[in-house]
Amino acid sequence: MIPRLPLLPFESLMRLNLAALMIFAFAGSSELAASEVMELAKRIDDHINHRLAEENVQPTELVDAAGFLRRVTLDLAGRIPSTSELDAYLSADAKERKQQLVQRLIESPDFAYHQRNQLDILLLLRQEHNDQWREYLLEATRENRSWDQLFREVILPEDTLSTDPRPVAFLKRRTNDLDAMTNDTSVTWFGVNIACAKCHDHPLVSDWTQAHYYGMSAFFKRTFQTRQGFLSERFDGTTKYTNTDGEEHEADFMFLTGTKVDVPALEIDEEELKKLNEQIKTSESDEKADSPPRPEFRPRAYLVQLALADEENDFFTRNIANRVWARLFGRGIVHPLDQMHSENAPSHPELLSELASDLRESGYDLRRLIHAIVLTDAYARSMMRDSVAKAIGEASFAAAVPRPLSPRQLSLSLRIAGTGPDTLTQWQSDDWAKRRDELERQADVTARRLAIPDDGFQVSVSEALWFSNNPSIENDFLNGSNDCLVGHLKQIESNEEVADVVSKAVLSRQASDDERQAIADYLNARSERRENGLKQVVWALMSSPEFRFNY
Amino acid sequence: MNQSINRRTLLKAAGTTAIVSNMAALNVLSQPSFANELVRGDKSVLLLWLAGGASQLETWDPKPGRPTGGPFAKIRTSIPGIEISELLPKISTRLNETAIIRSLNTKIGDHGQGYELMDTGRVGEPGVQFPHLGAMIAHELGQLDSRVPDYVSMYTSTEGRRQGSAGFLGARYNPMFLTDKMIPEDIRRHEAITDVDHQDRAALRDFFAKKFVRDLASPSVSSHENAYERVHGLMACDYLFDIDRERQAMRDHYGPTQFGQQCLIARRLVEAGVPFVKVARAWWDSHGQNFETHRELCADLDQCMDALLDDLKQRGLLEKTLVITLGEFGRTPQINGSLGRDHFANAWSCTLSGCGIRGGSVFGKTDEDGQTVVEGEMNAGDLFATIFSALGIQYDKEYMVGSRPIPISDFGSEPCREVLA
Repeated sequence: MIPRLPLLPFESLMRLNLAALMIFAFAGSSELAASEVMELAKRIDDHINHRLAEENVQPTELVDAAGFLRRVTLDLAGRIPSTSELDAYLSADAKERKQQLVQRLIESPDFAYHQRNQLDILLLLRQEHNDQWREYLLEATRENRSWDQLFREVILPEDTLSTDPRPVAFLKRRTNDLDAMTNDTSVTWFGVNIACAKCHDHPLVSDWTQAHYYGMSAFFKRTFQTRQGFLSERFDGTTKYTNTDGEEHEADFMFLTGTKVDVPALEIDEEELKKLNEQIKTSESDEKADSPPRPEFRPRAYLVQLALADEENDFFTRNIANRVWARLFGRGIVHPLDQMHSENAPSHPELLSELASDLRESGYDLRRLIHAIVLTDAYARSMMRDSVAKAIGEASFAAAVPRPLSPRQLSLSLRIAGTGPDTLTQWQSDDWAKRRDELERQADVTARRLAIPDDGFQVSVSEALWFSNNPSIENDFLNGSNDCLVGHLKQIESNEEVADVVSKAVLSRQASDDERQAIADYLNARSERRENGLKQVVWALMSSPEFRFNY
Repeated sequence: MNQSINRRTLLKAAGTTAIVSNMAALNVLSQPSFANELVRGDKSVLLLWLAGGASQLETWDPKPGRPTGGPFAKIRTSIPGIEISELLPKISTRLNETAIIRSLNTKIGDHGQGYELMDTGRVGEPGVQFPHLGAMIAHELGQLDSRVPDYVSMYTSTEGRRQGSAGFLGARYNPMFLTDKMIPEDIRRHEAITDVDHQDRAALRDFFAKKFVRDLASPSVSSHENAYERVHGLMACDYLFDIDRERQAMRDHYGPTQFGQQCLIARRLVEAGVPFVKVARAWWDSHGQNFETHRELCADLDQCMDALLDDLKQRGLLEKTLVITLGEFGRTPQINGSLGRDHFANAWSCTLSGCGIRGGSVFGKTDEDGQTVVEGEMNAGDLFATIFSALGIQYDKEYMVGSRPIPISDFGSEPCREVLA
């Protein structure tokens, strides 16, 4: 029989979480932590290399220094590096520069912004632009709030109501759609897509039955939103469903693992329940109505508890470990990311377990996980450029895969590239946090018109038309004033030197001889209208696939 | 001389190898086989979207004399035995190319969900972004390296405007969406750059791009190249949106309304090889004054649809262009207190004309008051299966989304063979 779970009062949930927070606080950024991170990085490489050796696959060479700088800056800071960052990195001591760079980026103000932007894409699933929610996420990423804490706040926003109504956005966006609450929660927090099991047991995956779908949906069935915008839960309400044989079932409150929650008997009589339901109904439509009382039995609190207690399948931890990995490699260890089930095994099961258990033990410190991954050799590989690539396949992580920039990475990188190198150096040495915030906001308009990349992402022709012809491109990125790149290039006499400067500023690397020649020829042919020529050169580099992708 | 670009000519010019390599670049989704390539190249869909929901009783399924009939009479048509509303006199004389379907029962009478249903052919599902009809047609009939857009959507009214998304097919198949202007955004060169510099700049870009993409097997990177390769071709078709190039008599034929002008643009696009064009006419949502609303809107529809069918036929394009009239639902047989009709999805009509369609036919039947379907009930999936079949697209082919097969028409859909040629 199904064991009855002890009814944990919410306070103890909060206590658990405090403990997790303390673990994190203790870890800090001490040298001990740094060496732990290096050890984790090494263990990750061991898993990858072991498999490569087993399958006799030769991985690609490590990417060169400039290539690594660009890649990791895009991944940790959400933008391309500046010319001065490039120069500094190339001239730094090759032995220590990589670790120092990663440490600096992880601690920079940029990191919190980029991490916020990535979580925003993941959690709201591109459904809306919500400034308050983004501000909330930024606060969370600035203090490196743990992933389980974020989960509690987002799934149980009413517990932080008095101080912070903002994390409500994730559920609020979906309260009118039970299926969306059910499936989006399963997909984003547990890496499981059970929508296929709504109308029948999953036809391809025996793990997922209708009972799972409706079991998950039961946790959200009682959720409602008051007219004032607060979330709460009803005192009653169960989910019923009909199976393919036409039999009707009442769904249990059942987590993906099959663990069910025993529902305590309601200790109020029907008359009182009726009254409460009236009160709830009024609060849903009347802006002035008081918030109705909250029931003791709260299904969503149980969902949180079950998800965090599930150490065996550990959907919660494995999902985020897999998603972080996919973000940095362009492919999950379980792929697609929402297909964690027995019939879609991870490519590297031990690796995924390693990442998950480390994450759990670190108190869900995502920053630590990211830190370790970017220090691996696996992360630093170059792309595969010949026909062997196809045969090897992406799942071996033997080579880097070009990843399209997110709208904000692209928009921000265009801003950085379009700014004069000297101006940028000055910004970075003087109150960069404030400049970064300004850039983030300036990047907003452009970012919102770009598509968010997903699996099998394709660049649309409207993006190419926009970048080719929209007047805003000229104004925003090809401006000829002195603090901008084009303005800076105007002051350089030699066209070869222009090529060197523009290549570093836009492509974050040194120009090759043939490129220097091509740019110089282009400009020589336009000596009568040099500024136009310079704008065209900058445009040509900004619109290249090399700029559009993290490779 | 007609200067339009013919897709079939381009296909021949491109040669098969080019197509194969482009296909390989996009192997994320199931790609059409060579046999299916024959479908591509010269078929198009022109969707006249009656936004807000047109009344079947004032158009294709009149019930004069009944309590639900309203004030308008029905008239005979060029097909003996088939009668439609008197509000469509021109169409009544030329039903030979058109099939009327009177038996749609799509159940959803809400604008948002109804739109979604009739635009994707199925009820939405969390976690899956289903592509809209235009995107699927663009995917099936368009050329990857086409020099014309493959999905143009015109929707000038603000009521009920929804852009439509290619969903899991990817942004490559999103529409060029025209709202306030009659020409797509960013299709014309910015005046700050000369034509020559625009071309040269692209060549310099190409120099850098080629170095980067060399020997890379990345579909995403290929799509970036593909998008930029198409820029100049698309810019060169700005003339398609310029109806000043049409004779005055032709423009008069389509009438002075914006819908008429857009229909004329649509014909120019189809002629140039655009596989899917949607022209939305709003706003049919006549909760009040249904009859005045339909008197005005049907006159516009009558003239434009007549001109369109005429024009397509004379150019030899009708046999390869499927013209559809459709909205998110129909309207209630009951007439409400404001002389209006409300949302009604249980028994309503649409039409299909031209490509692959048995003209002069009526399919399905409603009861004498138009309350229920009594014969040949069809849902959105069946209609989509019919549309695909008319175009020669296998209606039950599947897309693979992750590990899940998703059929192009919803599970269990069947084409209505009675209206197919």
